[in-house]
Amino acid sequence: MNIPSKFDTIVVGAGPAGCASAYLLAKAGFKVLVLERGRGVGSKELWGGKAYAQPLRDVWPELDKEAPIHRWVSKERFSLVWGERALTIEYKLGRKVAFTTYLTELVNWMARKAENAGALIVDEVRVEEIVVKDGKVLGVKSGDDIVYADAVIDAEGVNRLLLEKLGLVDKLSPDHVALGVKEVLSLDPKLIEERFMLNRNEGLAWFVAGDITLGLPGGGFIYTMRDSISIGLVLPIGPAARAAEKGLLKEHVSSLVEAFRLHPYFRSFWREADVIEYGGRMTIEAGLKLMPRKLYMNGLLVVGDAAGFLVNTGYTIRGVDTAVISGKLAAEALIDAFNNGGPTEENLKSYEEKVKKSYIYSELKNHSGIGDVMSDPFFFQKIPQVAVKAASKLFEADYEEPKLIRSFLNAAKEENISLLKTIYKLGRVAGKL
Amino acid sequence: MRIVVGIKWVPNTQAVRIDPETGTLIRKGVPSIVNPHDLPAIEAALRLRDTVGGEVIAFAMAPPPAVKGLELALGMGVDRAILITDRVFAGADTWATSYVLGNAIVKIEREYGRVDLAVFGQETIDSSTAHIPGQVASWLNWPYAYYVRDIQVSGDSKIRIVRELEEYVEEYEVELPAVLGIAMRALKPRPVSLYNKLRAKLDKNVIITWSNSDLKLDPRCVGLKGSPTIVAKTIDMPEVPRKKEVYKPRDPRDGAKWIISKIVEDEKLRELLVKKLWGE
Amino acid sequence: MSSQTSRLKTMKLEELLQRSVWDVDEERHIEILKQEGLRVNALILLCPMGCYSIAGDKLIMSYEGCVECGTCRVLSRSDQIRWEHPKSGRGIQYRYM
Ligand SMILES: Cc1cc2nc3c(=O)[nH]c(=O)nc-3n(C[C@H](O)[C@H](O)[C@H](O)COP(=O)(O)OP(=O)(O)OC[C@H]3O[C@@H](n4cnc5c(N)ncnc54)[C@H](O)[C@@H]3O)c2cc1C
Ligand SMILES: Cc1cc2nc3c(=O)[nH]c(=O)nc-3n(C[C@H](O)[C@H](O)[C@H](O)COP(=O)(O)OP(=O)(O)OC[C@H]3O[C@@H](n4cnc5c(N)ncnc54)[C@H](O)[C@@H]3O)c2cc1C
Ligand code: SF4
Repeated sequence: MNIPSKFDTIVVGAGPAGCASAYLLAKAGFKVLVLERGRGVGSKELWGGKAYAQPLRDVWPELDKEAPIHRWVSKERFSLVWGERALTIEYKLGRKVAFTTYLTELVNWMARKAENAGALIVDEVRVEEIVVKDGKVLGVKSGDDIVYADAVIDAEGVNRLLLEKLGLVDKLSPDHVALGVKEVLSLDPKLIEERFMLNRNEGLAWFVAGDITLGLPGGGFIYTMRDSISIGLVLPIGPAARAAEKGLLKEHVSSLVEAFRLHPYFRSFWREADVIEYGGRMTIEAGLKLMPRKLYMNGLLVVGDAAGFLVNTGYTIRGVDTAVISGKLAAEALIDAFNNGGPTEENLKSYEEKVKKSYIYSELKNHSGIGDVMSDPFFFQKIPQVAVKAASKLFEADYEEPKLIRSFLNAAKEENISLLKTIYKLGRVAGKL
Repeated sequence: MRIVVGIKWVPNTQAVRIDPETGTLIRKGVPSIVNPHDLPAIEAALRLRDTVGGEVIAFAMAPPPAVKGLELALGMGVDRAILITDRVFAGADTWATSYVLGNAIVKIEREYGRVDLAVFGQETIDSSTAHIPGQVASWLNWPYAYYVRDIQVSGDSKIRIVRELEEYVEEYEVELPAVLGIAMRALKPRPVSLYNKLRAKLDKNVIITWSNSDLKLDPRCVGLKGSPTIVAKTIDMPEVPRKKEVYKPRDPRDGAKWIISKIVEDEKLRELLVKKLWGE
Repeated sequence: MSSQTSRLKTMKLEELLQRSVWDVDEERHIEILKQEGLRVNALILLCPMGCYSIAGDKLIMSYEGCVECGTCRVLSRSDQIRWEHPKSGRGIQYRYM
């Protein structure tokens, strides 16, 4: 067998982070092996549906022309729902900022880019251990087989089995992660464009808060794809599990998603649609709290979700662009290290410095308030409820029309919320959202 | 020992749905896989090689995407894989398929030396005819055994095989070369290993593709043209009306007893069964 | 194979599961080691694929429909649930996610 005894770098996981670093390293001429546990690339991937383009263009300037982009997001919608009632705000964008696609497809494209640049991608292989000796990472192990490399990039995603084994992270706490449950609904592109009032190749991203989560923290998302619509709920696991144990949550999560699909306000958008896939995946709620004790060690770099690099703003989840950028920074740091005597701990320090200087880190800090919001029923329950109630007072009057501010004040009063408390609470988290 | 193992690339039937409006099968988006019943056949071949030495060659008559399936076989440890692919092979029934496979074995012998054993799965999940192994044996004029659960080498050019049938176990001695159909779930297939999968990706010579210009078979004997099977009619099986009963036992054993009481009418037999299962 | 239509009526979890594709391994990758102290209701209601169910007093885990999300892992300790990824690329095969 002519197996190369050693690679320059082994990347664990062909997600966005792994593919980005493998691509850049291979392009720079290094011998890269990517190991992926799934069959083919992308078969284990599930997300909401929207990627921010500019960070991806930093790695692949040809993105707009080549990537499997379904629709460029031209409209953002935000809804607060309570019962049958809904209050919706829509914003029409002025430029191409983000696009929708299936993550399964997008990572496939990224992997092909890496492969064409010379990286070797081997799927159907589950890495079981990162091999360390005397504080230095030597390679990876699967079954009885060990493959050696000068450096390993851990891009294994949120379920960090390998990092846990290494002792770089503790086991995840339910309060730091959320569960995403999703359905994909097939629908004729013409109907999608008609219903959402979109031009061809234009898409819509929609965030929904309110009682669709049955009083649990979290929210819903809707994304228009080329010929389908992705809908789903994201529920922080800690509070949901506590509610289940206390008997406050009585239904299985799938029935919450089904109720969302069949909600009288939303269902008219996809009346004819058929569910073509159903699934779930975990995501990060509190990115900063998930950062490993060390982002690097002698011969190892941690990127993407595995490093906690996901910005959850409460209304949007940005994990793919941050994964790609962290993959890029890791590749750059590693190339520097290779050119300066090798990937020693000392030489890899620049990775952490690069991360701390990048938008990933500042965004993570800026949005660290999401935890406060998500754990406070005031935000995920009271605010939607009061807003919808106020709107109902405004728009569901049979005789006289109340004034705008009166409607709000009355609604707030009925729900026992004082204006002062609202201002105080909003002020406390505003800086962190 | 040189062992060849036949692999069929089949749609994952678990994912096939019926269009509620047209009643036809929805094939879009259905990924293909290695016929699951072929995995025990691969395992049987590998175990034999691991004890007596030699090589295992996997082969499939299939369209090019089936390379992915051959990679899985290589990942499990098969030494070499041959994809037999050509437009003229398309639309084959079992007759034409086995004709190509039989001739492929003849060519394998020409290229690599004597083939001692050809192993196949019991049947496929998408057609389940279980014709192929027997037909291949007929084309080659080799002995054939099926429902095989165990193979042991017993001296020169002979194997002992165990067939497990519903009520008894049979043991045979079979002269080589021979064709075997391995029983479903007879052996647990080994997982893909890192080294084997690496080799499958790196070694350019490990997957070989043959078209009909390599096999040189008469186009009238292969593919649709060479397929005498005519599907005269397909009938949708009427749905049997079902009665629903719900029984919620605290102890799963009570549930089992309840099910037995529902499906076994004969009281004596029922008692015997319960006694045999739980000694009550 | 299934012939149910989703459209505008609620689909049961069993129907939803038929919309996704698995290549199920012969070997289970998740196993309950010790039921004592497990957050039973949370596992039953939150596993998106309904892999956890109760029979009598016993919590049962059916690994076949698992999508490897990790929720049951974060809700338990490693001496309660053994949790691994499936081998050989098997398990869930997402297509449109
Ligand atoms: C419900 C939900 C909605 C989301 N919505 C969005 C969104 O709209 N926009 C956005 O930008 N982000 C979104 N995200 C986040 C985004 O999906 C992730 O942040 C991103 O995929 C992280 O990329 P990664 O490369 O770090 O890890 P992953 O994408 O998780 O990739 C890790 C890869 O490693 C493989 N792997 C793991 N362990 C091993 C092992 N031991 N051996 C071999 N291979 C292994 C996995 O199979 C996988 O392919 C969402 C996430 C969820 C769950
Ligand atoms: C009545 C009828 C009509 C058909 N008509 C058509 C048709 O018009 N067009 C069409 O495309 N198909 C048709 N088929 C399907 C086709 O005959 C079979 O798929 C194919 O010949 C293999 O048979 P099988 O799947 O039943 O295999 P089985 O005999 O059940 O398979 C047993 C074993 O043989 C091996 N094997 C099977 N196929 C291959 C292969 N291709 N390469 C290597 N090893 C293999 C595997 O080890 C497998 O486990 C028809 C089938 C029937 C029953
Ligand atoms: S990993 Fe997710 S899908 Fe699998 S059993 Fe656990 S909770 Fe269910």
